[in-house]
Amino acid sequence: MRARRITLSAALLILAILGLAPIVLMFMRSLTVDGAFSIENYRHLLATGRSWQLLANSLALGLATALISTLVGLPLGLLFAKTDLPLRRMFVLLFALPLVIPPYITAVSWADMLAPHGLASRFFGETTAQVASHLMFGLPGCVLVLASTFMPAVMLATMTFVRTINPRVEEAARVSARPLRVLSGITIPLVRPGVLLATTLVFLLALGEFGVPSFLRYPVFAVESFTQFTVSYNFGAATALAVPLALLTFIVLGIEWFALREKIQSLRPASNGDYNYFVPLRAHRIWLFVLVSVICALMVITPLLSLMLQAGSWQSYARALEVVSGSLLRSIFLAAAGATALTALGFFVGYVIRTRAMSIWRAVDAGTVLLFALPGTVIGMGLIALWNRPATNFIYATPLIIVFGYLAQYTALTGRVTVAGLSLVPTSMEEAAASAGAGWMRRLARIVLPLVKHTLVTGWLIAYIFCLRDTGITMLVYPPGYDTLPVRIFTLMANGAPALIAAACLFMIVATALPLIGVASLLRLQRRHSWR
Amino acid sequence: MRKLLIAVVPTIMAAALVALPGCSPKTAEVVVYVSEDQVFSEPILRDFERDRGIRVKPVFDTEEAKSTGVMNRLLAEKDNPQADVYWANEPIRAEVLKQENVAATYQSPSAEGIPARFKDPKGYWTGFSARARVLLVNNSVANKPKSITAYRDPAFNSKTVIANPLFGTTTTEIAALFILWGDEKANTFLAEMKRNGVKISTSNGESADFVASGDSAFGLVDSDDAANLIKQGKPVEMIYPDQGDNEAGCFIVPNAVVLINGGPHPEAATKLIDYLLSAETERKLASSDAAQIPLHEGVETPAIVRKIENIKTMPTDYATVARKMREIEPVLKQWSGL
Repeated sequence: MRARRITLSAALLILAILGLAPIVLMFMRSLTVDGAFSIENYRHLLATGRSWQLLANSLALGLATALISTLVGLPLGLLFAKTDLPLRRMFVLLFALPLVIPPYITAVSWADMLAPHGLASRFFGETTAQVASHLMFGLPGCVLVLASTFMPAVMLATMTFVRTINPRVEEAARVSARPLRVLSGITIPLVRPGVLLATTLVFLLALGEFGVPSFLRYPVFAVESFTQFTVSYNFGAATALAVPLALLTFIVLGIEWFALREKIQSLRPASNGDYNYFVPLRAHRIWLFVLVSVICALMVITPLLSLMLQAGSWQSYARALEVVSGSLLRSIFLAAAGATALTALGFFVGYVIRTRAMSIWRAVDAGTVLLFALPGTVIGMGLIALWNRPATNFIYATPLIIVFGYLAQYTALTGRVTVAGLSLVPTSMEEAAASAGAGWMRRLARIVLPLVKHTLVTGWLIAYIFCLRDTGITMLVYPPGYDTLPVRIFTLMANGAPALIAAACLFMIVATALPLIGVASLLRLQRRHSWR
Repeated sequence: MRKLLIAVVPTIMAAALVALPGCSPKTAEVVVYVSEDQVFSEPILRDFERDRGIRVKPVFDTEEAKSTGVMNRLLAEKDNPQADVYWANEPIRAEVLKQENVAATYQSPSAEGIPARFKDPKGYWTGFSARARVLLVNNSVANKPKSITAYRDPAFNSKTVIANPLFGTTTTEIAALFILWGDEKANTFLAEMKRNGVKISTSNGESADFVASGDSAFGLVDSDDAANLIKQGKPVEMIYPDQGDNEAGCFIVPNAVVLINGGPHPEAATKLIDYLLSAETERKLASSDAAQIPLHEGVETPAIVRKIENIKTMPTDYATVARKMREIEPVLKQWSGL
């Protein structure tokens, strides 16, 4: 018990120092005007009618993005995981791609396409392109970009959770019900916790996003906070403007807790290895294939094609590689290091939340989700305030500060994935080992970790993607001469050659895809060995 | 699996060592934060490395952050500065750094010959290689506009474009107009512009594209955006506005270089500042795609870059403009709809 208490306390202390301390510093700064205590920043926030408009806009953006992502992601996840849809593996890969591209780049790509004499006007005529361009700048454009970026999260969560359903439950239902009824009555309710989790993450991601609404001119709190940083350099007011985002996060968390309560425990691992309950589509195969292809063309192929067309010849790729190779290497290394640290910290944080091993488990859950929802700029400024001191230069002036930033913002991801994984491990197994005299560390190493290793790999991959694409924190704290690929792309976007930027974006996609393919190959190799 | 890991892990570690900072042999170095576009500034910094043997560690600004990321960083790092030099792409940020005690004074010998109006009198910042705010006009327009007041001309109803005035050089110019004209006249101008159906673009570059495509008749853009399109052979013309006897002149936005107070490498910092302010650097920036106007007289420039002595410039006190910008932020937010 002592080992458990010390280890978990150490994990929470790390989270508090890396994540909460910078935010507390920023919050204290928001309560100071000209060096004296003041609530002016908050009084101003409440006094203006504009705040309510911003609140309504932020909610509209978050809800619309989460709703559309779920309405598209859930059926796609079910189709790919439970049916015999043709080319479903290829579709999964394609649909997952937008998740790795920073949404700002997708927004620019769409705006370019709809610009006068852009791709859209060539294919559909100038009038249609003008109408589409008009719609693009505002809520519809923001939702289109953010939903196409974040929808894969819901799709992948659905697929992951579908695999955790015991197929015998579905087969038993199949005795007296049609496949569609089994899907709606058994499968969907069982994956609801996972889908709700992903929907919540999408809502929070859309809520904290400033790049896309700023570019597409849709005023939300994240943009307002950003402009306070950029136009007025008023760090206190900028932090105060992030507080409504924090409050919205707590409300959403409350709703999620109420909706899920103990439901996640109803999931149990399938006992028959990889066996899965499949729904044959039969006559519906063709039209569903066409429908999925059309969605894929709209959400994935179009922006991707636009990038490829802009990149043009092989010379662009060669030039881009020359310009970004250092940043590319650094990004891969940092994302791998960050994902590894996040997986370790997320495991212990998830363990605390799942097993309720400490009385503050609910606060830990809320804290990590709050950090995830806050704009990266606020966390980045907090990190500078906390770590930029002569005594801690060995952290601040090195890439460690970027990893600290990742740990501050993204622990919610690996923590929650761990919670989902641990919910599949029957507590009786650990209890049996405990009564046989096995210590906590031994139980973790011999029982829990082997049972959740695939979940941890999934968490690592998710963390890798988010670390790789991060710009909010990285661009504020990266050591001089040590930029990452997305930061490099954003710096090149100012007057850089469009072909070079497009090619660099495509390298970014490859940088994400390669480790994903590598891990998938390793897992497949391991599975083959275990069969032998 | 284990064998694979044994092969993969050392490879990643080796790559990391190559990529990690501080792994190269100890040489003199200087840390510079840069708001000027990376594509234009990086070659100059590389030349400095080669010519002076001092390693440059840059932090560049991003387009997403509207070139304000490094400013925030400089302000946040004030108590333990990491940067030695700040290369700003306009003098307003340099003024803010002066007001916040982030800047130190340095009178560079290379700054001799740069007109006093483009320098801080005490040496907190020094301007060099400027952009002009010009009217980019499509060749199909018969009566070409000569003044920025053409934005309210009914002949150009719904045919003009301007970059979002909440960010970048457009904010600076509008703040300068508020000072030049007074609040009432400037507010009226903004209102009339809007009534006349001006389109708001995301950047000066996008405004220039709208003009080049014929979607807009003209737009107020930076001279480098205009020069680039002309070099590409687009059907546009660059007009320096308000050049008449009784007119205010064209707004000039010089780069500005700042020595950071308490930076870790002061000696290398002054060498870099001297290098950036030299006539040779101005010549390079004039002949590159940046197409910037040298502030030293007599610097050789390509035909597309007009010499500063041949432009009637708007009288501007950049310190006052910096203060005005903060004051008019709510007006601009409302005007732009953000």
